[in-house]
Amino acid sequence: MEHRDVPLGLYLHVPFCTSICNYCNFNRGLMDAPLKAAYVRALAGEVRSAGDGAPADTVYFGGGTPSLLEADEVAVLLAACREAFDLAPGAEVTLEANPETVDAAALRGWMDAGVTRISLGVQSLLDEELARLGRRHSAARAKEAVGLARAAGCDVSADLMLWLPAQSRADCAASIGALLDLGPAHVSFYLLELYPNAPLREEMARAGWSLAPDDDAAAMYLETLERTDAAGYEQYEISNVARPGKRCRHNLKYWQDGAWLGFGCGAHSTRAGCRWRNVAETGRYVDMVGRGLPPVAERRRLTHEEQLGDALFTGLRLVDGIDLEQVRQRYGVDVMARHGAALARFLEGGWLVLQAGRLRLTRRGMLLANEVMGTFV
Amino acid sequence: MDHHRIRNFSVIAHIDHGKSTLADRFLELTGALRPREMEAQVLDSMDLERERGITIKAHAVRLSYTADDGQSYVLNLIDTPGHVDFSYEVARSLAACEGALLLVDASQGVEAQTVANAYLAVDHDLEIIPVINKIDLPGAQPEETAQEVEELVGLDPALSIRASAKDGTGVREVLEAVVARVPPPRGAPEAPLKALIFDSWYDAYRGVVVLIRVVDGAIRPGMRVRLMAQGQECEIEQVGVFSPKPVDTDTLGVGEVGFVIAGIKRVQDARIGDTLTEAARPTAAALPGFRELKPMVFAGLYPVEGHRYPELRDALDKLRLNDAAFVFEPETSGALGFGFRCGFLGLLHMEIVQERLEREFDMDLVTTAPGVLYRVTTTDGEVAEIDNPAKLPPPGSIERVEEPVIDAVILAPADCVGAILKLCQEKRGVQKNLEYHGSHRVVITYELPFNEVVLDFYDRLKTVSRGYASLDYHVSKYWESPLVRLDLLVNAEPVDALSVIVHRDMAYMRGRALAARMRKLIPRQMFEVAIQAAVGTRIIARETVRPLRKNVLAKCYGGDITRKRKLLEKQKEGKRRMKRVGQVEIPQEAFLAVLRLGNEPG
Repeated sequence: MEHRDVPLGLYLHVPFCTSICNYCNFNRGLMDAPLKAAYVRALAGEVRSAGDGAPADTVYFGGGTPSLLEADEVAVLLAACREAFDLAPGAEVTLEANPETVDAAALRGWMDAGVTRISLGVQSLLDEELARLGRRHSAARAKEAVGLARAAGCDVSADLMLWLPAQSRADCAASIGALLDLGPAHVSFYLLELYPNAPLREEMARAGWSLAPDDDAAAMYLETLERTDAAGYEQYEISNVARPGKRCRHNLKYWQDGAWLGFGCGAHSTRAGCRWRNVAETGRYVDMVGRGLPPVAERRRLTHEEQLGDALFTGLRLVDGIDLEQVRQRYGVDVMARHGAALARFLEGGWLVLQAGRLRLTRRGMLLANEVMGTFV
Repeated sequence: MDHHRIRNFSVIAHIDHGKSTLADRFLELTGALRPREMEAQVLDSMDLERERGITIKAHAVRLSYTADDGQSYVLNLIDTPGHVDFSYEVARSLAACEGALLLVDASQGVEAQTVANAYLAVDHDLEIIPVINKIDLPGAQPEETAQEVEELVGLDPALSIRASAKDGTGVREVLEAVVARVPPPRGAPEAPLKALIFDSWYDAYRGVVVLIRVVDGAIRPGMRVRLMAQGQECEIEQVGVFSPKPVDTDTLGVGEVGFVIAGIKRVQDARIGDTLTEAARPTAAALPGFRELKPMVFAGLYPVEGHRYPELRDALDKLRLNDAAFVFEPETSGALGFGFRCGFLGLLHMEIVQERLEREFDMDLVTTAPGVLYRVTTTDGEVAEIDNPAKLPPPGSIERVEEPVIDAVILAPADCVGAILKLCQEKRGVQKNLEYHGSHRVVITYELPFNEVVLDFYDRLKTVSRGYASLDYHVSKYWESPLVRLDLLVNAEPVDALSVIVHRDMAYMRGRALAARMRKLIPRQMFEVAIQAAVGTRIIARETVRPLRKNVLAKCYGGDITRKRKLLEKQKEGKRRMKRVGQVEIPQEAFLAVLRLGNEPG
């Protein structure tokens, strides 16, 4: 079942932040310099001990706030990756960065260490909205960061959040317009998802900010895509667009039934039909690696059905959809024979298209992706 | 046993007026149970009974009491169910007694059912002893309550006993009054056996346990007996009394109350009200008052998960073992799949069955709106009883429809009269009587269509009277009415389980309310959903559920996949629990919407 020729993606988690955002549910904690130093050592150690020389072609520093790493720390970690894996010469190396941490010197340092791509957490280009989200940067600082990164010769991706508290469709359009004017190579935009106990929920209640109805969310989503289409970006996933040739190769592995290894606290890995995750707590992670133990919290072998289901529902996130012949070869299953009846109403309703051996969501269908994906679990 | 030392009595009381507590005091005072054996309120043995404060099945307890005159007596306390649905059982229990305690909460006053049951006791020539209970409560008004008992039931306040079952005050006086005032049973010891069956239940180890009161003759193990209404014969295996634990005896003679076990397999074969006699030497005439129990309220019961249908059938079979009044037969609904049409004595009976299915058998149920038994005459002269709106013939072939009508007695504070009369008029009632008792109590008598009562009358009555009005009723007749079937359609497909039979004049209002309610209950789907209410081919209301616009996870990266899969699975499970009509997914709660319409403000 393993697709050996497909190179691995390597994910390195950096759990530190200078402040905690009120909507964020990722595994992160406040910046702590001594702990960070110990953590970087542990992370490099985990990469080295996990390494088996397998080919890899992407590295992704995610967080948290990976831009809190110094250039030499990035260098140490990438060196560990090269030592332990057969990292391709043209590998894509992404570092997530908060705009306020970006300046020309830092950028130069990261790039010299091997970073090729910066993913900036812009989120909005309206100061009011940034303040509501508790972000530390202003719209002007975000614009400056994009400009600096582009000038440094980096591939720049910008994250934007849509359907923010108290955001109107016009506000949303204003942020998008301002962002596209800056010309990043790649844009990810996410409709806000409030997890159950997010502090932002409380703040919204206190301040009387309300979310626009979901009809507006749908409109914001579609309008955003119209703008990126017009500006020459290609949508390739539900929430991602890129200029030609600038798709995020690392993230594509998640949707193309690929294999990836995650390092650091709370990181997830999937390879050869197995899925596992590391312990979430930073101190415990450092301790376990220090004692030579694999820092794994849970490991499971996926059943054939789970692998197939995951491949189908994640594959449907791609604009290109699922290659049915490839699924048949990999899993020995004829998707349409098995799910055709359940999918018929989505096909008839214009949410789903079967074309040239591929099953894909239409743009309208993407907004209702969960309804369709439920078929596969 | 000398029957002159026997006193058979029951307690007539409203829910919560303290019957079970009083019974506990009797047990303590007579030494039937030592304190450590007392589980509070022994008489209500089912959990459900204890929780709801309702006695569902009658029981009989034999107490040995040494009275102030120095003599010892056998007191048989025969418990009666306290709800209108079980009035037939109450009547049979009273028929087994010579006296009754009329127990009234001094802080609450007399309730309609208490009055109705007191009249029943008067009809059976029972000696009635009023007991004004809960005099220890700060809000107690014993004088006024005794006065009310006189006004409503015609009992001399001087004869009433003040008591607090809680702290024991007056309990001995009550037992003394039973001995002194309740007449001993009369009967002929040498005559052929004649015994009244006033309760029966199924016991997994012993088969059907039958409670009897011996009127004439005697019954003993080995005797071959006949159940007169059924014509069935069987041999008595065991005879005994509850004190309150079961104790075998050699015989039960004139006036005695106890149980017999006779290898009877189904409670349906030992009908309440039937007469037991010796097969070889039968009595000339059965005791009067036997009636076949006929279910009056019907509803569809469906498993939430279709594959649990066989489990539901088994559970219903088991419940029926112990409930002669409960009937069911399989039915199929386009919307709900395979289920059962069930018949109940009334709404409380229905709730009890539902709750037992959910609690004891762990069934998740969808229950359709309850309805009554209509009598339909078709144009070709056939008469049919309709227990399901879906079975109503097409309007063109109906000659006439008759609906059951109840005689309702409402007891209420005088200041609510206006609101109650308005409610009764709205419910198509016909006023029969209105009587003031004293300055602040009123007895209102109405004829009301039973289906209106089943729908929401009781809740509304409680609302307009701030909880003070009480209701007693029995089905008295059928009358002809212009009744129509109101259908609900989603995207033009009728949802059979949501159809109801309503009066023509109310169809429009109810149709609009139902459609509006459904709009709130049906979640947005991938396409627009049209909800329509219709009578025949005429659409009388329409609502629209706008299509769902967004159901997507914004992010799904490597670490999210497991969590997102769970979310998708959960969503799928939620959909699986919905019922599908055409393409439209309808949640379970929607099927109760018809029921709750009346609780909507305005």
